[in-house]
Amino acid sequence: MSLLEIKDLTIHYVTKDSIVKAVNGINISLEKGETIGLVGETGAGKTTTALGILGLIQSPPGQVVGGEILFSGTDLLKASDHEMRKIRGDEISMIFQDPMTALNPIMRVGDQIAEVVYLHGNCSRAEAVKRSIQMLEMVGIRAERSREYPHQFSGGMKQRVVIAMALACDPKLLIADEPTTALDVTIQAQVLDMMNKLKKKLGTSMILITHDLGIVAESCDKVAIMYAGRIVEYGSLEDIFHNVSHPYTIGLFGSMPSLDKDVDRLSPIPGLMPDPSALPSGCKFHPRCTSAWEECSKVEPELYEISPGHCARCLLFRKEGAVNE
Amino acid sequence: MSELLRVEHLKKYFKTPMGMLHAVDDVNFSINQGDTLGVVGESGCGKSTLGRTVLKLIEPTDGRIIFDGRDITFIKEKENLELRKQMQIIFQDPFSSLNPRLSVADLIADPLKTFHLYRNPEERKKKVHELMDMVGLAKRFEYSYPHELDGGRRQRIGVARALSLSPKFIVCDEPVSALDVSIQAQILNLLQDLQEQHGLTYIFVTHDLSVVKHISNDILVMYIGAMVEKSPAKELFKLPLHPYTKGLLSAIPVPNIDIPKKKVQLQGELTSPIEPKQQCRFVARCQYATEACHSKVPEYEEVLPGHFVSCHNVRSINGL
Amino acid sequence: MQPITLKKKKEYIESLETSSRRHSQWRDILGRLWRNKLGMVGFFIVAVILLLIILADLVAPIPYDKQNFAERFLYPNSVHLLGTDNFGRDMWSRLLFGGRISLFVAIISVCISLFVGAILGSTAGYFGGKLDTIITRILDIVMAIPGLLLAIAISAMLGSGPVNTALAISISGMPGAARLIRSTVMAIKGNEFVEAARATGSRHGRVIFKHVLPNAIAPLIVYSTMSIGGSILAISGLSFIGLGVQPPIPEWGSILMAGRPFVRDFWPMIVFPGIFIGLTLLGFNLFGDALRDALDPKLKN
Repeated sequence: MSLLEIKDLTIHYVTKDSIVKAVNGINISLEKGETIGLVGETGAGKTTTALGILGLIQSPPGQVVGGEILFSGTDLLKASDHEMRKIRGDEISMIFQDPMTALNPIMRVGDQIAEVVYLHGNCSRAEAVKRSIQMLEMVGIRAERSREYPHQFSGGMKQRVVIAMALACDPKLLIADEPTTALDVTIQAQVLDMMNKLKKKLGTSMILITHDLGIVAESCDKVAIMYAGRIVEYGSLEDIFHNVSHPYTIGLFGSMPSLDKDVDRLSPIPGLMPDPSALPSGCKFHPRCTSAWEECSKVEPELYEISPGHCARCLLFRKEGAVNE
Repeated sequence: MSELLRVEHLKKYFKTPMGMLHAVDDVNFSINQGDTLGVVGESGCGKSTLGRTVLKLIEPTDGRIIFDGRDITFIKEKENLELRKQMQIIFQDPFSSLNPRLSVADLIADPLKTFHLYRNPEERKKKVHELMDMVGLAKRFEYSYPHELDGGRRQRIGVARALSLSPKFIVCDEPVSALDVSIQAQILNLLQDLQEQHGLTYIFVTHDLSVVKHISNDILVMYIGAMVEKSPAKELFKLPLHPYTKGLLSAIPVPNIDIPKKKVQLQGELTSPIEPKQQCRFVARCQYATEACHSKVPEYEEVLPGHFVSCHNVRSINGL
Repeated sequence: MQPITLKKKKEYIESLETSSRRHSQWRDILGRLWRNKLGMVGFFIVAVILLLIILADLVAPIPYDKQNFAERFLYPNSVHLLGTDNFGRDMWSRLLFGGRISLFVAIISVCISLFVGAILGSTAGYFGGKLDTIITRILDIVMAIPGLLLAIAISAMLGSGPVNTALAISISGMPGAARLIRSTVMAIKGNEFVEAARATGSRHGRVIFKHVLPNAIAPLIVYSTMSIGGSILAISGLSFIGLGVQPPIPEWGSILMAGRPFVRDFWPMIVFPGIFIGLTLLGFNLFGDALRDALDPKLKN
């Protein structure tokens, strides 16, 4: 049984004026110890998916319209508030993007980590404190610094504290939402390196949300590319980097300036991500797609298999009769 | 190719309760007309301050700025405002850099109104349309407000505004850092095209080395206010000489699973630019540091033709 | 399988995106105001009260100072819509004409506070440095004196009467307005568009008037609507102790104060002026909130 199986998850934000279809029928599966990169740009629905797993969608206006989230067999969408609270921080943890605001400014760093441990573990306060120091050292922060306040730490260090907090209860799944975007490049490298080592050591599975395919190359085993609330390409690292198939993914690779390529001009994807409250008909990417033809504006493609484990949501890969998840 | 901008021993210090903050310390470079200087570095390296000081938006503490043959370092306020017609800036944040109360047309026309150019409203409107066309903004957005548009379009407004006075020189301060990847490429191409069409000269400030690779002629790497390395763009990537540049390059995640990880990892944190000691500023993080590095500020010297480095041990590290 | 050409693609993309129509900012603002029901209620209340007050001569024919000892302490009836007071004077007339004074003084004092406060506050907030320190210290000194006490002192110096009262109240309220404007201006100054205005050649004055102040209006509106309420109460306090506005000029606060001795046996003398004051405050506050929301270009999602 996979650790995490998301089936047909659909989340909408319903307001008086419009319905924002943030996530539309996505399917993801994750085994123990695996890391999946959830790649996409602003508005693709990545953060909404993460919040959906943790049951943190603001209930008006957000609504989980359909689907299942099976975590070790239990459907999280059917779990009670009480059960979800037990899971959050203990079995599933999340790291958010901005380390500057993720920590409580008036609480000592060690205490914040100890709080998580104490709330979830059946241990005494003293044991929680010991665990918090252990976690700090695991992320490369000296034990003495546990008595300091967040403002005394730099951005990179703060993010390490956040990671320590997230891993303190040894969760099975860690969701990291753009964990290094706000950090300087050299600090990002240190933090990513540390995260990779830690998750290998603790056997934690991870959903890594990012827009940076370079980070995906360094940290992930599988990749899901999201666009307009749907997964448009899904496969192993090899599949995506050696056999990139969906025109959007190809466009992403082409529009990124990179160190090893020598180009005179970049090839950006024309146009913009569609407004999630007014999505185009047929394939959601077709208005920007250089390979689109007429049928693309009428028929919304399914995820078609390209090779075992690798699929793309594009009519280019449709075979007669063969439709795969 | 004539020299448009020359900066000599430029310093900008800020007084803080904890001491003097050396935001920009002894920076020297020159740029020819039509060229682009990429200025790269992480937080606290002083690149944004450098950009604004060169533009005279911030008053320099010391040094000389020579623009188009004229020493503009310490000129009067009135002349400074006149300079705006020749030197402009594009900001990083596409939201906070646009007055939320003004429509797109008003935002682009504001500099024209400030200098009383195109007094006739009809002519002004035509000029605004022309500028919108130049930056790829559809005319139908002229009465929209910034909050109604996405980041990419907002940034185009910023570009149009910077171009409205027909400047020769533009400082692009992290113009694409806040944008989505696919939009970044569009704006970068736009900036490149505009440079070719209008003969513009750029200083392109960014923390992302990959972004400046193809747009810059020369790249200047800064660290805690000081120049660390400067060389022609392509050479910097093939042959980085300073340990910091090497670390910076290897830290950038590359979207390629076949290249083995060349790990020159920089340990430690960025040190403070306040009251820096008389030593190499990079010494705390450098794996090649020797005694000289702890006691003397390294000289900024031309190690290879056109390739300048500030490092005591540059030759021994690189086998030169 | 004909791929759509790139040119057609561009048009197609554009046709899918929502187009913008020419709209003036004012129409948007009025539209948002109109849709805000509570705000419209507030506007309605204020409008009705203002209308009654302006047309007092027509709708309140009985002179407000006509005493009639035979008709004292009358409850509301067909002749005296809100009854009479302890001197037999018509309450309806007294309240409508009194409203003229109360609102006049309150609005004038708030306007003066805001005007002077805006000059001081925006100078301090925008320029910072020594100028800021000097202005803030002066404001601190003024604020150290309790508001009402200060108003009393100034009133005592200037004498009673509506204009002097307005001045006194405005001086004691001015530091609050100035500090609010100062912090708002400082927050706005942090935005890059202020720097952009300087970078495109604007002098400081233009930056303040065209770019900073228009964005500072929202908190000011809420502040001013709340201040009008405070001013009305301050006027009554001053009138009570012999400053402010003296009889026979009617004024809501003094009418209310005059009814205090009779509260147990004859409630209309306290309740009716209280209702007028309360409704006016409510109306201004509701409308002020709606106005602030309408002026904010970032619509709430």
